[in-house]
Order: sequence, then C-alpha cells, then structure tokens
Amino acid sequence: MRQKGPDLSDAELQPVLEQARHYESIALAQLCEYFYPKVYRYIYYRVNTLEDRDDLTNEVFLRMVQSIRKQRGSVHAWIFRIAANIVIDYYRRRAVRKELEQPAESAEAVADENTIPDSFLEQERLRRAMDRLTGDQQDVIVLKFIEGYENDEIADMLGKSVEAIRALQFRALISLRKLLGKE
Amino acid sequence: MEKELEKRLDAFIAELRKGKSVEECLAQNPEHRSELEPLLEVAQAMQRLPKPELAPELVSATLVSVGREVARYRGNKSRTFRGMLSHRPRVAWALGAAFILLFAFTGMTFISGNSIPGDVLYPVKLATEKVKFLLTYDAQKKAELRLTFSDERLRELIGILQRSGTLDTDLLKAMLDEAKLALENGSQLPEQQASLFHVKFNHINAYQKESLEQIRLKVPPSERETVDKAIEVCGNRMQWMMKRMREGKHVPWGRGCDMW
Repeated sequence: MRQKGPDLSDAELQPVLEQARHYESIALAQLCEYFYPKVYRYIYYRVNTLEDRDDLTNEVFLRMVQSIRKQRGSVHAWIFRIAANIVIDYYRRRAVRKELEQPAESAEAVADENTIPDSFLEQERLRRAMDRLTGDQQDVIVLKFIEGYENDEIADMLGKSVEAIRALQFRALISLRKLLGKE
Repeated sequence: MEKELEKRLDAFIAELRKGKSVEECLAQNPEHRSELEPLLEVAQAMQRLPKPELAPELVSATLVSVGREVARYRGNKSRTFRGMLSHRPRVAWALGAAFILLFAFTGMTFISGNSIPGDVLYPVKLATEKVKFLLTYDAQKKAELRLTFSDERLRELIGILQRSGTLDTDLLKAMLDEAKLALENGSQLPEQQASLFHVKFNHINAYQKESLEQIRLKVPPSERETVDKAIEVCGNRMQWMMKRMREGKHVPWGRGCDMW
C-alpha cells in the first residue's frame, strides 16, 4: 500500500524548479518526467475519453511552462491546481457542445471485455462509478487514494480546509460504496 | 454525529495506509462497525488498484511540445543583458560590485557558467565541464551531462549571435555532436533507463530545432544554409527517434542525422 504521494518533496524539487524558472530545458524535462504519470493518473480518473486524456495531460505541461515564473508555494499543489483547472475548463467546453454531439463512448467501453485484463476492468469500473461523483469528490478520491497525498496537501491543492476534505472524502466513499455495490 | 464519523473514518484510513487491516481498525471502534466497515473496504480496494498504464510515446510527445514552448519563451527574451546595462549605468555599477564580491566568495567556476566564447572565463567553463564529466561515474548522469553540454553550446551560439550578429559554426557542430554522444551513452543504459533517457533526448532535440528555426532569420544570409541544414538534422533525429521507439533499438542511425 502506498504510504505517501510525493516521492520527492517540494524541498527536494526546489533546485530543479529554480532552473526550470529560467527555462532550462533539462530541468523542465525533469519536472515533466516526474509529474507526467501523476497528472496522467489524475486525468485518467477525471476524464473518460482516451484522446482527451492525452491532450489534457499535454496541456497541463504547456501551461506549466507558461506560468512557471509565477509559481509560488508547493510545486505539487501548483501542478495539480493547473490540472484541476484544465479539467474544469474541459467540462465547461463539453457542456456547451453537449447538445450538438452524441454522447461520447470511451474506447475502452467498446472493446471486448473478455480480452481485457482484470486490473484494467477494475480501473474502468471505478472510473465509471467516479463519473457520478461531484467534481470536488472526484478530486479528493484521486488525490488521496490513487496518488496517496495527505489531507493537508489536498486542501492546499484544492483551496479548501482540511475539514472540508474530510467531509468530501466521507461523502464520496458513501456514494462509491452504493455505486460499486450496484454494478 | 456525522462529523465524528468523518474523523474516525479518516483516522482509520491513515491506519490502513500504515499497513493495518480493516478488521484491526474496526476492533478499536466496534460500535461504528456497520457504518465504517463498508467505507473502509472501498477505501482499501481503491488503494490497491493498479496504476493505469502509460505509453512512453505520450511522455515523449509532451516533452517535444514542451520543448517547442520553451524555445518560444526563450526567444521572447529579446533584450540582451548588455543592452539593459547600457541604459542603466547605476545598475551596471551595482552589478559590477556584486560581481567582484561574488568572485571573491565563490570562485571562478560558478561565474564562468554564463560565459561565451571570447569571454575571459570561457576556457574555465570548458575545463570545468571536462572535469565534471571525468568525475562522473554513473552512466546515466554522464549521458545527461552530455545533453547539458549540448544545451549549453546552443545558449552560447545564441549569445554570440546577439553580441556580434555572426553564426559560430563550431558551436553549432559541438551542439549536435554532444547530443549525438549523449544518445550513444544513453543507448547503452539498461532498457528502462534508456527509454527514459530517449524521451529526454527527444525533448532537447525538439527544443534545439525550434530555437534554430527562431534564430534563422537573425543569421547573416550567407550562413543561413548551415542553420537550415542543422534544422534538418534535428528533424531527422526526431523522426529516427520516433521510429526507434516504434520498432525497437535495432533501427540504424539515419544518414541525415549527422551534419558533417
């Protein structure tokens, strides 16, 4: 079981961040390399189409470069705030387009379930159940249980109090229990 | 009541993370078993979920686009340091004094880091690079150092262009050569490390291509062909790398991947 989310603390990332602020290519590549799997996992559980996940993850890192000079405070919180805002923008754009489009069916949902590994089906089952949670509840579940962050870190990322995170976690687990129990 | 349950649930989730079982947690608080047990089971199942698989090409594609973005940002920093100082003599004096103090306290190697060919401290910088490379024993770090040197040559090339308006072809050659050497070193790493290194190489290569495209028009027309050739080499290297990622390590180094 994962003990704690960040393998590298903010303090450990600080020297790389300092170089990245001066647009040092290697430092920026190191930041991308370190955060890519984390951001991808976060977006994986928040967005249900494959192409959109790839594009949005890419967008997070472009926005990282664009705003790196303004970065203050926790690096982890900063990156996940960018990712969370990008997901919010994505759903806003989708809401505008919704009436014009057919409901998107995820590539995975179309595939033959007999040929897919169990682990993948489990991820998909959870992801589908998570679609029914509120955006804030989804954020807390992914950051806490998939990424392994602590409540205070999540509170910093989402701009909420630790008590609010605890309440969101409680309600999200109740909803998930009901949703997963139904499947 | 709900607040109390939220607190207990959170405390038990922390215990699960430390390796305790659901049963051990509930034994501490049996009166809330019926409410907490199903929630702890969901929490535990989620913590045990495998991570979604990640294709290396995706990381590579992102690094390439980040490389391009970085080149655009660096390109936008049009005002040179020298130009800034000429308009602010007081700043120049203050920086001069700071420079002397810094020199006294930190030594030459640190200060020589930003020097370019023609500067008094440039030979110190090259010597420092050599020493650093010789004292590095880890193969991956050696390969990464080569990439840093390649990146440094590009910075110097841009610095010379801004200072004197000329293209230093030796620096251009050194930039491409160092990157190639980095790739050779990186390809000898164990498979997983090598593929991560290749992703990094791709990022630097894309950044260098983008930077050369941006400086192309600032180069004297007579030397523009050389820059075009170098841009083509970077493009060929990018294609070669993509092919290698798809088809495996036996793809031979392409003919258009070298300049000289």
